[in-house]
Amino acid sequence: MPAIKSPWRKALWAVLYKEGLCELRTRYALSALAMFALITLSSVSMAIAGTSLTPELAAVLLWIILFFCAMAGLSRVFVQEQETGTIFTLRLYMGAQAVIFGKLLFNIVMLLALTALIIPLFIIFLNVDIRLGFSLSLILFLGDVGIGAAATVTAAMVAKTQGKSALFTVLTFPILLPQFLAVISATAKVLSHTVPGLTELFFMAGYDLVLFIAASILFDYLWYD
Amino acid sequence: MTRMMVELVNIGKCYGGHYLFRELNALVQPGECLAIIGRNGSGKSTLLKIIAGLVRPSSGTIRVVANGRELQTDQQAAVIGMVSPEVIFYHPLTAMENLQFLLNGRNLEATEQAALHWLKQVGLEKQGNKPVSSYSTGMRQRLKIAVALALESPLILLDEPSSNLDTEGKDIVGQFIANALAAQKTVVIASNERWETEYASHKITLA
Repeated sequence: MPAIKSPWRKALWAVLYKEGLCELRTRYALSALAMFALITLSSVSMAIAGTSLTPELAAVLLWIILFFCAMAGLSRVFVQEQETGTIFTLRLYMGAQAVIFGKLLFNIVMLLALTALIIPLFIIFLNVDIRLGFSLSLILFLGDVGIGAAATVTAAMVAKTQGKSALFTVLTFPILLPQFLAVISATAKVLSHTVPGLTELFFMAGYDLVLFIAASILFDYLWYD
Repeated sequence: MTRMMVELVNIGKCYGGHYLFRELNALVQPGECLAIIGRNGSGKSTLLKIIAGLVRPSSGTIRVVANGRELQTDQQAAVIGMVSPEVIFYHPLTAMENLQFLLNGRNLEATEQAALHWLKQVGLEKQGNKPVSSYSTGMRQRLKIAVALALESPLILLDEPSSNLDTEGKDIVGQFIANALAAQKTVVIASNERWETEYASHKITLA
């Protein structure tokens, strides 16, 4: 007999596993994300023809690629559920918190996998010298978590609307702007071989935490209303 | 065992200034069945969704009481098993994977053996490892029944449960309803099939 308030952790892993399995079989988001990253990097690489970018420009370029990759593929988690009609099944049988955090984790994992693919290409194509590998990894992780969290919540918001794609980017960008500026600044420092300050890292981690809490609170309203 | 009681108090639903239905009242006790009858577009499915807590009524209240405790709207879905045309499965996944996913969602045993057991109940054990995209509409309907069976929910909502089913499938539905009522579960059926509504002790006719 089902419990009235069943623990949602098992359901969360079930959502994460389901997302992964569907993605592996359809390759809907991964292909779009990887293609966007490859085209952008190779285009910029050919345009600058072997010369190096300044750390600031390289940092901006890296985060623009990651941001627009996220915009190209991360809304899938809710938009596709809405378009195929499976959202009703999900609402009926899964708790709100399991759904939001399952999908949020999936988007973060996707973005981290994409980052792991982009970084070596970024180093090769744009002739970037990275000496502070750990610092860069930490910044990339915090930035990806922020983009993943913001993108998942806005995807849930726009799933039922017309003009989803445009609205998705328009809504996500302002939410993400403070985090975006912080990660670009920190990445530029790392690319100039300077360790970013603890305050910057705490700000990024704190912003991610706020996004997680906001996702949890907001999603109940989106799910049940 | 959870004993469910469903009470509809002056329920109404309005879309764009026009009432689909209004002032509906009913009380369904454990082991009882409520049938909702009406022409297409009369609001049968909407009423089921209101009972499930997925749609808000425009007027009135729904009381879903489990073992004497009234449930909040966000708790209602956790005690419901539903067969509905709007329940759509994940096409890239197999029937087995869909079933395991939904069982996990309710924190129930979701092993392959457990899933296979429920698929066997609806005659899908041999097709369990095929993707749902390759299923016919009748097979998908059977899978919906397998899910409702597997969840062992105390409140069962059935929206035209035998649509697209062959004679054998209809027998499965009949057996499912009879067993649920014998187990003191609460059943609500939205249907115009006479044989399905004959299980009901209460009826609501929507105009």
